[in-house]
Amino acid sequence: MPLLEVNDLRTHFFTREGAVRAVDGVSFSLEKGATLSIVGESGCGKSVTALSLMGLIPKPPAEIVGGSIMFNGQELVGLAEHDLEDIRGRQMAMIFQDPMTSLNPTLTIGTQIIETLERHLKLGKAEARKRAVELLEEVRIPNAAARLNDYPHRYSGGMRQRVMIAIALSCRPQLLIADEPTTALDVTVQAQVLDLLDDLRKEHEMAMILITHDMGVVAEAADEVLVMYAGQIVESAGVNELFDKPEHPYTEALLGALPTIDEETSRDSRLVAIPGRPPDLVAPPPTCRFAPRCPYASLGDSCTVEPPELREIRTGHFVRSAHPTSERVRAEETIA
Amino acid sequence: MTTFVLRRLFWTVPVVLLVILLTFLMMRQIAGNPFRKSERAVTVSQQANFNRKFHLNDPWWKQYLYYTKGVFTFDLGPSLVLRNQDVNDIVKEHFPVSLQLGALAFIFALGIGIPLGVVSALKANSVYDYAAMTVSNVFYAVPSFLVATLMIYFFALKWGDLTGLPTSGWGSNSAKIMPAIALGIGPMAYFARLLRGTVLETLQQDYIRTARAKGLRHRRVVVLHVMRNSLIPVVTAAGPLLGYTITGSFIVELIFNVPGIGQYYVTAIQARDYSVTMGLTVLLSVIIIVANLFVDIAYGFLDPRTREARS
Amino acid sequence: MLRRREPAVAVPGQAVPPVAAMEAGAPIRQTSLWRDAWVRYLRNRGAVACGIVFLMLLLYCILAPVFSPYDPNAVDFKLAHQSISWHHPLGTDKYGRDLFTRTALGGRISIGIGFGATIAILGIGVLYGSISGFVGGKLDNGMMRLLDALYGLPYLPFAIITLAIVGTVTFWTMVVALSIASWFTTARIVRGQIITLKENDYVRAAQSLGARWYRVLGRHVLPNTMGVLVIAVFLELPGVILGEAFLSFIGLGINPPDASWGSMAQDGREAYRLYPMEIIIPSVAIGTLVLCANFIADGLRDALDPRTRET
Repeated sequence: MPLLEVNDLRTHFFTREGAVRAVDGVSFSLEKGATLSIVGESGCGKSVTALSLMGLIPKPPAEIVGGSIMFNGQELVGLAEHDLEDIRGRQMAMIFQDPMTSLNPTLTIGTQIIETLERHLKLGKAEARKRAVELLEEVRIPNAAARLNDYPHRYSGGMRQRVMIAIALSCRPQLLIADEPTTALDVTVQAQVLDLLDDLRKEHEMAMILITHDMGVVAEAADEVLVMYAGQIVESAGVNELFDKPEHPYTEALLGALPTIDEETSRDSRLVAIPGRPPDLVAPPPTCRFAPRCPYASLGDSCTVEPPELREIRTGHFVRSAHPTSERVRAEETIA
Repeated sequence: MTTFVLRRLFWTVPVVLLVILLTFLMMRQIAGNPFRKSERAVTVSQQANFNRKFHLNDPWWKQYLYYTKGVFTFDLGPSLVLRNQDVNDIVKEHFPVSLQLGALAFIFALGIGIPLGVVSALKANSVYDYAAMTVSNVFYAVPSFLVATLMIYFFALKWGDLTGLPTSGWGSNSAKIMPAIALGIGPMAYFARLLRGTVLETLQQDYIRTARAKGLRHRRVVVLHVMRNSLIPVVTAAGPLLGYTITGSFIVELIFNVPGIGQYYVTAIQARDYSVTMGLTVLLSVIIIVANLFVDIAYGFLDPRTREARS
Repeated sequence: MLRRREPAVAVPGQAVPPVAAMEAGAPIRQTSLWRDAWVRYLRNRGAVACGIVFLMLLLYCILAPVFSPYDPNAVDFKLAHQSISWHHPLGTDKYGRDLFTRTALGGRISIGIGFGATIAILGIGVLYGSISGFVGGKLDNGMMRLLDALYGLPYLPFAIITLAIVGTVTFWTMVVALSIASWFTTARIVRGQIITLKENDYVRAAQSLGARWYRVLGRHVLPNTMGVLVIAVFLELPGVILGEAFLSFIGLGINPPDASWGSMAQDGREAYRLYPMEIIIPSVAIGTLVLCANFIADGLRDALDPRTRET
C-alpha cells in the first residue's frame, strides 16, 4: 500500500467571478521514502495541491469539492479539523517558500520548536528543550543551545529555512511537503538547504513532495516527477525518463527553458520563455488547456475540439497531449 | 533595553518643558489672563496675591521659569475665581473621580471591544460579524453627548424603576455605570474596528499558516500566535485614545454631573478662570506624555525587533 | 523565468483573489490609475451607499433653506416645541423656529467648518511634512523631534484656549481653533510618504538629470501623495466635525443666532427630558455625517492604496 494516494482531487476557489478550478482532477501516489516532484509555472495549482493535502487551503474562499486523499490508509478529505490537527506536524509536515515570513516574529525560535514537540510528542519542558537543541544541531545551526532564545529576525534567510526544516522534522513525519523551499534563498544557500533536506530525508526514511519550478532542483532530488499545467497533471514519469524523453510540449518548453552552461552561447542567449499565459481557470476552454500556447496544435486538430485524456504512452510514463514528442517524430517520419 | 528606557525617560523632560511653554505663551494672549494686570475686577489683595504668585513684575521668561518650577514642585497656583482655592486643591479633590471614570471606561472599552473585534475577524463575513461591525461603526460615529443623553432618557427616566440607575451624580456604584459606558463606548467601537482589521491581517500571515501546519490546536494558534501579534497595534493606539477619553470625559462629566476634573475644566472656561484652565491643560498634557512614554516602553517589550534595535 | 523568484502572479494559495492577481500582472498605465480606483470603489457597496447619503445630506443642507417658507431666525413663542408635523417635518425649537430649515443651516456651518479645518490641517501638515521629508538631514530630525513631542496631545484644550484668545467665536476662528493642534498626524503621514517616494527610482532619475528640487517636489513627489491626501480628507473630517460639536456643546460654539449642529444639540439639551427630538436630530445628523465619512475613507483607502490597512 502506498503511503499517499490522491485520486481525482479537485480544489476550487469560490470568487466573485466564479469558481476558480485551481486543482482540477489530480491523481498520483507516493511510496514510503520516495521523492515526488511537482513542477509547473506559477498558478498551475501545485501549491494548492500541497495545501489541500495538509488541509491548509484558505477556507473560504477555497474548498475541496471532490476526490480523495488516502494517507496511511486514512481518508483526509472531509476529515474534521480537530483530527487533521493531529496528523499535521506529526505524520505530515510542510515547509514553505518564504522563510522570512514563515516564522512568528514575536516568539523565540525555541518557543516555536518546542511548542510542536509539546503538542505531538507530549514531552516535558526540559526534555523538549533538549530535543530542540538537538534538532537545531541536526540542521547545522552553530551554537544551537544559545540561539534557541533568539528571535527570528536575528537569523538569516537560509538559517530560518533550516529552522523551518527542524520544526517540520521535529516529530519525524512520514511525509514532508516542501513548497519551493529554496526559491527565496540566495543561490549559494539554495544548494546547502537542498543537500540538507536530501540527507535528512534519507536518514529518516521519509517520503517527500518537492514543489518547484526549477528543473535543476528536480533533476537533483526527485524520483518521480509530475508536471502540472492549469490545474491538471499534463505529464508524469520517472525523473530520468522525463528528462530523457519528455513527451508533452509544455514539458519540452520547461526543459528548454533550463539554462545550460556548457554551450558557448549560454552567456548571451536568453532563457526560452513560453509565450502566452495560462488559461482562465474560471471557465477553462473545452479544448486541451495548453492548445492556445502549443506550437504543434493547429485548427481542426482533435485537441482543439475536445480535451485529451491522460494516457500511458510508455510504462509508467503518462501524458495528456494529442501531440506527444514520440508520436510527432513518427508522424513526421511517415510524411517524409 | 535599559538604555532605551533611560533615554526615553530623559527625553520626556524637554517635551514637558516645551508643552508648558506653548501653553504658557498661548495663555498670555488671552485677555484677562492671570499673567497680566488690571483687566479684571479683582480685589487689591487678590491682585497683590497674583503679582506675588505669578511674578507679574518680572519679564515673561522669568514668569515661565517660575511657573515651570511650580509645575515640577506640584504647585499650579491659585484660582482666579474661587477665593482661597489653589489649582492643587481642585486637582486633589476632582482628579481621583476622573481617574476612576476613565479607568472604568477603559476597562469597558477593552473588555467589550477586543472580544467583539476578534470574534468578528475569526467569523469574518458572518451574521455576527456584520452585526458587531454595524454596532461598532455607529458608536464610533455618534457624538458622546447623544449616547449620554439617550442613556439618561431611557435607562434613568423612562425605565428608571426597572434599572434603578440614577440620572446623575457619582455617589453610588450604580451611578458610575452609565457615565463609564457613555465614555467608553466610543473607544470600545474603536478597539472593535481596530482588532477586526489587525486580526484579519495577522490571519493572512505566513507564520499563522506555519503554526497551523505544525498541527497546533486552533485555540493555541488564535491565543498565542494571532492575538499576540494583533494586540501590538492596540498598545500603540492606547496612548492617543487616552487623550480622547480625557477630553470625552469633559462632556460625559458635564451631562451626568460627575464631580470630575473634566466638568471643572468646562466650568473654569465658562467662568474665565484661566489659571485653572492653564493648570489643568498642563496637567492633562503631562498625563498624556507620560502615558505615551509607557506605551513606547510596552511596545518595545512586545515587539522583539524594536526592542533589540533600540538597545 | 528560471532560478528567479516567482512573480506574485495568480497563486491562489496565497489568498490573492485570482482576478486581482491577474490585474496586478498586467502593465499599469498611469492614466488609468484613478479610473481603476473608481472601479474598485464602486465594488464596495457600503462605501457607495455612504457616498450617496453623504451627497444627499450636502444637498439637503444647501437646498432646504433656499426652498423653505420659514425664516430660520424668526422667533415665535406660540410655535415653540412643536412636534413633528406636515408643516414642520422635524418640529420646532424653543423659539418656535422650524428645525427642518435650521438643521440644514446648522449643517452648512458644521460641514463648512469641517471642510475648512480639514483643508487647513492638510495644508499645514503637507507643508510641514514635505519640508521635513524632502530636505531631510538635521532639519528633518529636529522637526520630527518636535512632532514626537507634540504627538498624542489632545487638541481640544488647545482649541479651547485658542477660542478664549480670540474671544468671539466665528466661522473662521473655529476653523483656526480646530486646526491649530490637529495637524501632527497628517504631517507625519505626509513625511513618511515623501520619504518613500524620494527613494523611488523615477525621483532619483529626475534628480540625477539635474531637475531642481522644487520641480522634483512639485512634479514628481507631491502629485503622488494625492491619493493619500484624498483619503486624509475623509479621515480628518469626522474628528473635526466631532470636535466642533464638542466645543459647541460645552458653550464655546459659534455665536447665535447662527448655529451649528453642535450648538443646536446644546440648545436641545436644556429640555431633552420633555423634547428629546431637539437633541436627537442634530446629533443624528452629526453621527450620519461622521459614519459616512468613515466609510468613504475606508472605501477610498481600499480603492486608492490597497496595500495599506487600518493602522
